[in-house]
Amino acid sequence: MTDPDRPETLPPHSPDDLLAAEFVLGTLDPDVRRAASRRAEVDGAFAALIRDWEARLAPLNAGYAPQDPPEALLPQIEARLFGRDGTAQPPARRAGRLRGWLFGGASAALVAALALLAVLVWLPPQPPLPADLRGELRAEADALIFEARWNASAGVLDVARLSGPDAAEGQDYELWVIDDSGVPRSLGLLREAATRITAPLAEGMTLAISLEPAGGSPDPVPSGPVLAAAPLMSAAAASEG
Amino acid sequence: MTDEPIEALIARIAGQDRAAFRALYAQAAPKLVGVLMRMLGDRSEMEDALQEVFIRIWQRAAQFDPGRGQGMSWLIAIARNHALDLLRARASRPRTSDSAPDETDPLERLADPGPGVESELVARADMRRVIDCFGTLEPARASAVKAAYLGGLSYQELAERHGVPVNTMRTWLRRSLLRLKECLAQ
Repeated sequence: MTDPDRPETLPPHSPDDLLAAEFVLGTLDPDVRRAASRRAEVDGAFAALIRDWEARLAPLNAGYAPQDPPEALLPQIEARLFGRDGTAQPPARRAGRLRGWLFGGASAALVAALALLAVLVWLPPQPPLPADLRGELRAEADALIFEARWNASAGVLDVARLSGPDAAEGQDYELWVIDDSGVPRSLGLLREAATRITAPLAEGMTLAISLEPAGGSPDPVPSGPVLAAAPLMSAAAASEG
Repeated sequence: MTDEPIEALIARIAGQDRAAFRALYAQAAPKLVGVLMRMLGDRSEMEDALQEVFIRIWQRAAQFDPGRGQGMSWLIAIARNHALDLLRARASRPRTSDSAPDETDPLERLADPGPGVESELVARADMRRVIDCFGTLEPARASAVKAAYLGGLSYQELAERHGVPVNTMRTWLRRSLLRLKECLAQ
């Protein structure tokens, strides 16, 4: 092992663990890196391997010497996020468009889906999982139905696809949450029949699912059509109906 | 005035708290500028990247789980990931950053808790273990791991710097990572 020209063999290891290690170290080739990054968004076990490696190597962060940030940058960032005057509600044009889709009735099918949701959300929950808030997201096309159940004490959102197909080849379903600010935030991709997400949510927030290119929206907001949306409502209230 | 913990600020940002966002910028931007300058080596690229990083922080704050790690480490991971995406997309453009091999060893900065060392980044005991584990690697390999992590150097760049074939460098780093993991688990 002192001969630098002779290849060495590696000790036994898990290929995924090594992939996560090289992802965090930063040495992966661009295409492998992109694939690993996309996988981490939907594969919780792989994402956990990455977090473990980030924690292992975090002491090296002491090697980054702090430097003065450019003075004018914070106002520029705030303008990009919140609008020029800092008080505008929709921080981005595209976010405004999503708001239009959700609440302005840009699509007749979506309006129908929302009308249906208002009824469905009052149905009793099917599996006896503890859920403080739930929402059911139903799209007209393809009879696509998602159920979202949020457990407040665990801070965990379980999203199950109750019916409907996988997203087509080269596409993904992406889950978003929209609160009072109207700014959608991505909660990740929904590739499996059941997905568990850690997220702080509250009653009245709206969940939405959009159809995106594989790997998710290239923008910080949905780039594709919003297939379904529903408000999170109290599970207790829902089961009384 | 004591700074509010980064973790608490991130939690408030998840609730769309803009004052918390400004406070986080004041606390964390200097470190993130250090990360981006070290990796990108160009001031105007750093400024664009820093904007993008803070926009991601605002958008992803809800995904931060304080039970899984330190706030500052999470912020640095976002900055490093963005810088690495930019570096790898640069194709074969010659880099200006990190052209000189480690003048300052980050682990020596850790071992010497003088001013400028962020002791809050990781617990002391964790630092000690990492220093010890890096000490078990051959010096050239330990230096390559640090240069890859801190400067975002590719296998190609590291191989040229150390005068070894790319495949050898890949094996060096993989072996070193596995050995570090084993050592840290003890």
